[in-house]
Amino acid sequence: MSINLNNSNVATRENRIGSITGYIGTLGDLAKQSECGTLKGCSRCFSQSSTCLSSCALAQLSNIRDVAVIHHGPAGCSVAGAGAYYIDKVMAKKRGVTNNTVYVGTDMNEKDTIFGSTEALRKIILEVNQRYSPKAIFVSSSCATGIIGEDIDSVVDEVKEEIDVPVVAVHCEGFKSRIWATGFDISDHAVLSAIVKPPKQKRNTINFKNFYESARPEIIEIFKHFDLEPIFLYCNSTVEELSHISESLATTCICGTLGNYLGNGLEEKYGVPYIRTINPLGVAGFETWLREIGKVTDRSEKVEKYIAEQRAIYIPQIEEIKKELKGLRAVLGMGPGYTFEVSRVLNELGIEVVWALAWHYDKKYENGDVPPSMKYLLENDVDFEASVADQQNYEVMNVLHKYQPDLYLSRHPGSTVWAIKNGTPAVYVADEYMIFGYQHTLEFAKSILDSIHNRSFEQNLAKRVKLPYTDWWYQQNVDKFLEEGKK
Amino acid sequence: MSELRQIAIYGKGGIGKSTTTQNLTAGLCEHGKKVMVVGCDPKADSTRLLLGGLAQKTVLDTIRDEGEDIELNRIMREGYGGTRCVESGGPEPGVGCAGRGIITSINMLEHLGAYTDDLDYVFYDVLGDVVCGGFAMPIREGKAKEIYIVASGEMMALYAANNIAKGIKRYARTGGVRLGGIICNSRNVDRELDLLRAFSKELGTQLLYFVPRDNIVQRAEINKKTVIEYKPDSNQAQEYRNLAEAVINNKNFAIPTPMTQERLEEILLEFGLMDSADDYHI
Repeated sequence: MSINLNNSNVATRENRIGSITGYIGTLGDLAKQSECGTLKGCSRCFSQSSTCLSSCALAQLSNIRDVAVIHHGPAGCSVAGAGAYYIDKVMAKKRGVTNNTVYVGTDMNEKDTIFGSTEALRKIILEVNQRYSPKAIFVSSSCATGIIGEDIDSVVDEVKEEIDVPVVAVHCEGFKSRIWATGFDISDHAVLSAIVKPPKQKRNTINFKNFYESARPEIIEIFKHFDLEPIFLYCNSTVEELSHISESLATTCICGTLGNYLGNGLEEKYGVPYIRTINPLGVAGFETWLREIGKVTDRSEKVEKYIAEQRAIYIPQIEEIKKELKGLRAVLGMGPGYTFEVSRVLNELGIEVVWALAWHYDKKYENGDVPPSMKYLLENDVDFEASVADQQNYEVMNVLHKYQPDLYLSRHPGSTVWAIKNGTPAVYVADEYMIFGYQHTLEFAKSILDSIHNRSFEQNLAKRVKLPYTDWWYQQNVDKFLEEGKK
Repeated sequence: MSELRQIAIYGKGGIGKSTTTQNLTAGLCEHGKKVMVVGCDPKADSTRLLLGGLAQKTVLDTIRDEGEDIELNRIMREGYGGTRCVESGGPEPGVGCAGRGIITSINMLEHLGAYTDDLDYVFYDVLGDVVCGGFAMPIREGKAKEIYIVASGEMMALYAANNIAKGIKRYARTGGVRLGGIICNSRNVDRELDLLRAFSKELGTQLLYFVPRDNIVQRAEINKKTVIEYKPDSNQAQEYRNLAEAVINNKNFAIPTPMTQERLEEILLEFGLMDSADDYHI
């Protein structure tokens, strides 16, 4: 589906790319149904968790340095401002830069809801501009403004004439999607339509969409081998940097869920190739990804040389550790960008994935293809039981109780704690680069080994913790509360 | 003193809800009843005939201009025969949320103690199409328990009435809200009385009263008066007195049984046509 930058409103993931939050079956079936278009998401009559897409979208945007995010809604909506402010400051400090981004709530009240408050919004935008001189202003809607049909677009169009920096409407009504990752697309849409400028010259840069650029120095070093410079997005990005990303040689990302919209948008609008391989996690992922970058940027020779050098260092070590991992059984729960990539790495390390949970699932990506990680697993005859659940802990616990795996891996800290209470060793795949490249794949393998070598902590804790789930629940099928499309 | 009867009047836009409510109110006043009329329409024209013009400052305008710390007499005016008149008001067309406005203003009325013990009747005159939850506010949370739908023999009026009955049925399950009947504000269409009777029966209710069409209503409206005030001796004034009588004596309160679109059209076919269909003259 093509990306329409003329409309400030982004369709939800459900509508645009057929994303779902409810499914139980196998990986093979999930992929088959995705390809032939029969996949239907199931709803739950009982849901334990979910979150709002606005905090996802606006946290992404507030990561950009020295901008203003104006959240037009009741005070409670801008609660995400506190978290965003904290992350912005910490990440800037870590990198040694400053980020003066402000997050402003418009404190919409009862009167504003009844009569509309576009006039107040207009004044707030002008005041924020005058007071903070931001490099760009993102004006977000909320559920309340969405319901009353507040015409934020017109206000933004009006104030553009009075403000020198980009001002852009960001439509974040939380109720419109069950999938908070729609927020990534919303933030990308805002950046693409208002910040990115048409290219003037090509540069030796690669757009690298990631969360918190924790491997920044290391990746800069790697890319030096190929005479390429990564531009990390959006954490600590400047508006100036972002305005030039149309001039890069390619776009890549650490997580397909995160980078898909921006990557496809830049390719569609400015012809910047989007690297659509499996992600640079694990050996196969890293090599496939690097080779594609080499191909797209015409640097294959340099890439092959680098791969050969690194292989000599790391492959023997990884092979050695694999001997100890062989035969372990794992369950994992993560966002879809990671679930199937990490499943692939586990398979590569000789660990059997018995169940994989994805927080949601994108049937296809913006270009219409099934996500590459899925394709890869199927082409390599890897299949396992899989479910799609938006962090429904009760389902995770049911799976863990039934399968009693050696290991649970999650990109959600709370989820790993629950596994440990169940007596299951758990690895929190916290950092986005935890399995990146040869070196981190080796470290990841070592972390797993550490986690399972001494299980006394998990065992002792499990003995002393009474979990709230009943025996009845553990005896039920995991799909007990999935309302439709049961197998 | 009898118990307060809170009544909501619904019906298709333009059907004559405000006109009927105000004339009915005037009829009740003649019986010595103490009545409050609450207009629930952003246009704020539900009390014009009782007040002799749109002299009313709405609840929402008052809240907006003066804050929430206001006296009841700032938003309530006395009209014909000692009726108490309130207009909820609302935003300009195309902005904000009128439904939320009604919720706020009715809460405000309660908060300010508008529902005094000496009242016999409170009427809520609600904007034509019950487009969202806000417009159902008068029949929620134990406010209006009694509803009348104003309709005519016109297809769309019956369609709207049937739709409104669906809303009533929903609230009837949890609250005590009941349909008191259909009030026909005649448009002089074919076999209107038969059609309305059949429709009411199918809906599980009664045709409470049939108000004939009379141009005197138009004249009274132009003069900003109810018919009872404008021409107390006219036939139409007597019709409204009879309607008031019917409301006072009504004992028939039902949970409506809304029909399917197909059934509604069957009834129209059966009752809504004269034997000869080509007798239409302008």
